[in-house]
Amino acid sequence: MTRRLFILATLSFWLAVVGFAASHWWLPASVAETALATPASAAGAPTTAATADASRSLAEVGRHREADDCWMAINGEVYDLSRYLPEHPSDPEVILAWCGREASQAYQTKGRGRPHSARADRLLAEYRIARLQQP
Amino acid sequence: MTGARLATARRALAPLAALSITVAGVGWAFPDGLTPWRSVGIVSGWAGTGLLVASLLLMVREARLARLLGGLELSYRWHHRCGLLAYLLLLCHPLALALDGWAEAPPLAWQTLDPRAQSWPLWLGWGGLLLLMLGLTTTFAMQLPYRRWRSFHFVLGAGVVLGLTHVYVLLGNDRLLLTLLLLAMAALGWRLLASDLGLAAHPYRVTQVEARATGMIEAALAPCAAALAVSPGQFVLAAFGDGVHYRGCGEYHPFTVSGIDDQGRLRVSVKALGPCSRRIQTIEPGVLVHLEGPFGSFLDEVHAAPQLWVAGGIGITPFIAALRANRCRQPTTLIYLYRRDRHGGDAAFLDELRLLASQDRQLELVIDASDEGPPAVDRLLDEVSRLAERQVQMCGPAALLAALTPALRRRGVADGAIHFESFDFR
Repeated sequence: MTRRLFILATLSFWLAVVGFAASHWWLPASVAETALATPASAAGAPTTAATADASRSLAEVGRHREADDCWMAINGEVYDLSRYLPEHPSDPEVILAWCGREASQAYQTKGRGRPHSARADRLLAEYRIARLQQP
Repeated sequence: MTGARLATARRALAPLAALSITVAGVGWAFPDGLTPWRSVGIVSGWAGTGLLVASLLLMVREARLARLLGGLELSYRWHHRCGLLAYLLLLCHPLALALDGWAEAPPLAWQTLDPRAQSWPLWLGWGGLLLLMLGLTTTFAMQLPYRRWRSFHFVLGAGVVLGLTHVYVLLGNDRLLLTLLLLAMAALGWRLLASDLGLAAHPYRVTQVEARATGMIEAALAPCAAALAVSPGQFVLAAFGDGVHYRGCGEYHPFTVSGIDDQGRLRVSVKALGPCSRRIQTIEPGVLVHLEGPFGSFLDEVHAAPQLWVAGGIGITPFIAALRANRCRQPTTLIYLYRRDRHGGDAAFLDELRLLASQDRQLELVIDASDEGPPAVDRLLDEVSRLAERQVQMCGPAALLAALTPALRRRGVADGAIHFESFDFR
């Protein structure tokens, strides 16, 4: 019984993984690009050309340091991460501490000195609202 | 609290401990306001992590802990259940996160799973899951020799450590995570150092070896230091070392004690059932043996009511230990079933049993030898007087126990009055 359950579960797992991989390779490129570009704008993120070209000062970033209004300056860009905070996998206190601040170093050396993943970089881009105004 | 209630409470301890660890993990990380699939991913990951840690704790082989948890067999049964359930939940973890990506945008699903798009904390997670998969594949492989099976079982431990490290580096330095990691490391360390390498074992020396039946010897063991406090019906885990002409296999295997004296000397009976126990048939006096235990509670309560003891083949060992230690305090019928062949079969201690029965008026001995086919269980039970009033203790092959149990129930013996000894270590 347990042996059958193990075999069935393991085979189903690999079938699902292969299915996801196949969908990635076989999905038409145009659909994939559209899909990746859509979510942020569909969800109402202000990633329009106008906002992307705007610039914000670090002082202005500093006024958005609450859990429901959280901006961060990372690598010369300003991000509004208010919508993303509940989805961040770490203890909320870890990321809340960086709201309203220059967080490039924290982003590049999160936790135990390792960078965020490539997927996190792509995800972050969806929340960009402006360039950071240089002092 | 009566003995029966205490035993029931102890049987519930292992699943309760597993549930508590799991609930603590899930409760700590319970998602609030996340998408459904991401929530499933987080809950399955934490539930799997909690159950893995519980599974490791239930693998610890220590006599007092085993007694607290209702016995080593029960502890190991929950170790297996928790391990498998944890594996199933951990398979759901990456798939649920991929489905969360899919719900957002289909190409994100594969990006969530693709190791090339990840960094080393996620590779740790993948490594842990793959090691669990490999370890469980070999666990369920029916034909694998014990030694190879055991080596592959260590892979599971490495998988758990990788998985916990994955969670730890991903989520940061939290007290709960650190506690889980330390618990897992302590359980693995105890198992490896104290149990498998025998640092907590008691050294004994073989002083005498006697052939008791075809393919069965009885070895007398004298303690080299502090003796184990063993009761009749209990078993020890023994690893036999090397002698002048004997090379031990060094693995710990369970052996029921067949004799205990007041100076702490023990006797263990070993039947040739596998490569290691076949080698032990040629053991010689002087060999050093390491013992762990004692484990088990079989024959713990034989003085409270009239007894029916049923032994099959090597299953006579706990009963001979009890009879050698004390006279019966209650009317006791011992039915001894064995296979007869032209070399004498698997009957052991026959002359000694007859002598003990002749000296103990409370003991009735029924010996039944069969050549082929199942023993005549119904005929034998029909000969036992006041059967429904007796506590029944059985030790023998699984097929014998399976045939006896329904036959006893049909004769009015309550389930709570039927006790049996079984070893299920794999």
